Amino acid sequence: MTPRMPVPEETTTVLDGAGAHETALGPAARELRADRDVREQLRPIRIAARRPTRIELAIAIAAVAAAAASAAVVLVGGVAASPSGLAFVLALYVLVCVVAGIAWRRARPWSPYGLALVAYGLAASLFCLSTTSQPLVHSIGVLITIPGAFFVFWLVLSFPSARLDSAGRAVIALAGGVLLVGCLPAVFLTDSLSPMQPLARCGGACPANPLQIGHNQSLATAFGHIDAVGHAIVYGLILTLLAARFVRASRPRRRLLGPVYLFSALVFAASGVYQVSVNLFGGSPSASSPAGFALTATTILFPFGFIAAIVFAYAYVGAALASMVHELGVSSSVTGVERVVRQVLDDPRAQLAFWLPRSRRYVDRHGRGVVLDEEETSTWRSIERTDGEPMLAIVHDAALDEDPELMDAVGAETVLALENRRLQQDLLDSIAALRASRKRLVAVAASERRKIERDLHDSAQQMLIAIRIQLELARGEVDTASKLERQLNRIAVDLDRALDELRSVAHGIYPPLLAEEGLAAALTEAARRASVPVELELEDVGRLPEEIETAVYYCCLEALQNAAKHGGPDVAVTMRLWWEPHLLRFSVSDDGVGFVPGQDPEPTGLTNMLDRLGAIGGRISIRSAPGRGTDVDGAVTVSP
Amino acid sequence: MSKAAEAAAGAPARLYRIVVAEDAYLVREGIRQVLAQEDEVEVAEFCSDLSSLLQAVERHEPDVVVTDIRMPPTNTDEGIRAAATLRESRPETGVVVISQYVSPHYAIKLFEDGSARRAYLLKEHVGHRNHLMGAIREVASGGSVVDPAVVEVLVESRTRAKNSPLAHLTPREREVLAGVAEGKSNAAIARSLFLTKRAVEKNINSIFAKLDLADDTDVSRRVVASLLFLAETGTPFQSVSS
Repeated sequence: MTPRMPVPEETTTVLDGAGAHETALGPAARELRADRDVREQLRPIRIAARRPTRIELAIAIAAVAAAAASAAVVLVGGVAASPSGLAFVLALYVLVCVVAGIAWRRARPWSPYGLALVAYGLAASLFCLSTTSQPLVHSIGVLITIPGAFFVFWLVLSFPSARLDSAGRAVIALAGGVLLVGCLPAVFLTDSLSPMQPLARCGGACPANPLQIGHNQSLATAFGHIDAVGHAIVYGLILTLLAARFVRASRPRRRLLGPVYLFSALVFAASGVYQVSVNLFGGSPSASSPAGFALTATTILFPFGFIAAIVFAYAYVGAALASMVHELGVSSSVTGVERVVRQVLDDPRAQLAFWLPRSRRYVDRHGRGVVLDEEETSTWRSIERTDGEPMLAIVHDAALDEDPELMDAVGAETVLALENRRLQQDLLDSIAALRASRKRLVAVAASERRKIERDLHDSAQQMLIAIRIQLELARGEVDTASKLERQLNRIAVDLDRALDELRSVAHGIYPPLLAEEGLAAALTEAARRASVPVELELEDVGRLPEEIETAVYYCCLEALQNAAKHGGPDVAVTMRLWWEPHLLRFSVSDDGVGFVPGQDPEPTGLTNMLDRLGAIGGRISIRSAPGRGTDVDGAVTVSP
Repeated sequence: MSKAAEAAAGAPARLYRIVVAEDAYLVREGIRQVLAQEDEVEVAEFCSDLSSLLQAVERHEPDVVVTDIRMPPTNTDEGIRAAATLRESRPETGVVVISQYVSPHYAIKLFEDGSARRAYLLKEHVGHRNHLMGAIREVASGGSVVDPAVVEVLVESRTRAKNSPLAHLTPREREVLAGVAEGKSNAAIARSLFLTKRAVEKNINSIFAKLDLADDTDVSRRVVASLLFLAETGTPFQSVSS
């Protein structure tokens, strides 16, 4: 019966045979590996909070001043229906637009939206002029909402690329048409201009319209109706267009579009409903009417859409980084990293391209050359070191261009993950190289030993044997009890001793039984030659690869000799050899005096054992304690 | 011819026709000289590898083959393989394997398919005329011989397989068994252990009963039986668990 012992694990020294690792990059990987200290060379990620710049401070001061001034004008102007409400809403609107602009400018310095929002916010403060009673100033305040509306159309329809597509241009052209055939004629014909804002409409009589060129109130009302219907159509088209774009957008882009589109859609819908209800159906223009309240509320919300877009983008980066760190902890192979990047970017076609500094080109994870090219639907982003040398490029969906902080963060994390992998790979490679060279050394040593053993047996030993035979023949020739016979007898004894010695040396160098009959026979013989009692439990393990037989044999021999040498006078040894599935196991246990691992001088053979077993990817554990004997336990994986 | 005439004349009972195989020139010459002294033997041919040995046996039909254990082509255990081959093709041929290995493993291997007409000698003992001639006579008459040095290894070895029946022997029985394995007669064992011959016989009966060995008085068979038994206790076992 063979005892089932746990495979050694917890030991002083455990060598593991594992070494499977990806080498898909091949030579490219080595070139990549030449790059060191990537962490120090990475550009800082822009997501880090910064102190406000002077320009930002100046803008903020200007915005506060504009907001305060406009509120003051509204309060003293006396025309608005609800001066205090308007003063508050207008000041808030100005401030929120400017804050959105600053936030946008910080996050995307190259994007025109930052400055556009700041400019729009500051310009919006001029709306306060519509609350003054001076007719010309009042008219400017009212009419400034016309370019304001077009600016908002542009903001929303060109978002986020700042470029209008043909549909956007068509809608804005249509709005221009409505302006020409509805709004402007009404402006020139009406008695008074009242802002289409529930809070800002004239409370009492509006100041006279200085732009009036003809007096025909019914015609003015008719044009006003055209204007209202035209606006409703424009708003309807815009809403349809936004919905269509949102549906078509890739998921990364929707994150950005979502808040802006939602808040814009609300204000456009509320505007349309308000204009139609007031102009066509004689609905109450009051801010307390449902339509009036909805328009006021959605107007205030509008600039928050842009802030929300930025905040969501940052929030997503945080979540993405967290999930990336988690995922990369699980898999750090090149394929695994690429998979995680795809997952985090929500872009199934994303691809990593690795920069080869010497060849000055990019390759993919299979080592194939990659040509980076901007296309309609995909583009690329390179992660560079501080000195401008590229390290890595991520080929990704064009929409992700609008998520620079995400791309930067993912890029940096990817570089770190791959660098970690490379370091790990380096380590594995050097371990593998070390193991291979150790295996070669051990193999060379074994074959040299065999050669020496053969030479000893075939030449020196044969010669001694021949001499021994001749000596015996000579002894037969001499007179018994003569001096010569005594001398010959002495020589015979010496010669026998020499033969014994030679035999034992040859066996120590390499036991012929190991090569001819395998492990069990050789270990049996070793036990017979031992100076201490050995109990054997050797399973017939058959023949195994030479390096395994040699390593296990010498390990057992070393352990046996250690037991005999250090185990004390009454030591007894048990030697076992047995199979477990795909695992050759052996153990040499003694009941000797033992030692304190790591404290007492360890048996010298220990290093030899570790070397031999390590060379074939085996494991060995040595357990001992004073008075408790020593257990040497080994396992070698043998592929079937 | 003169030797054959001598044999016919009567003094030596018979003439042994022998084929010798040994690849080391000096040892071969030594053996040639040793056997040249003997009137009882006629060496038909000296060979130096396995195939020429087997051919020589076919040609000369010798009574006994004296063969080196390690020869070309593989320089491992050609002598034992020759013995196994001859067991099949010429069961009447005796084989004396001369070896530089004291390891019992080879002797056991030689006796594996039957100990009759087989001898295992250490080469350095070949020069002693009684040794080699004794073995030749023994195998020619159907007996077997194992070199005492090999037995000594087994007797001195303190190696035991787990659950060995030897564990059931008393210390005295072990001493007696060692004597038997060394080929001593009962009288010799009695002298060396200061026992009566009767006590030795009692011990031997008890040992053979415990070890389940047939009670055989033939000395060489007792030796081989003991050898095989001693060795078996230290040889690899087939485990029931796997």
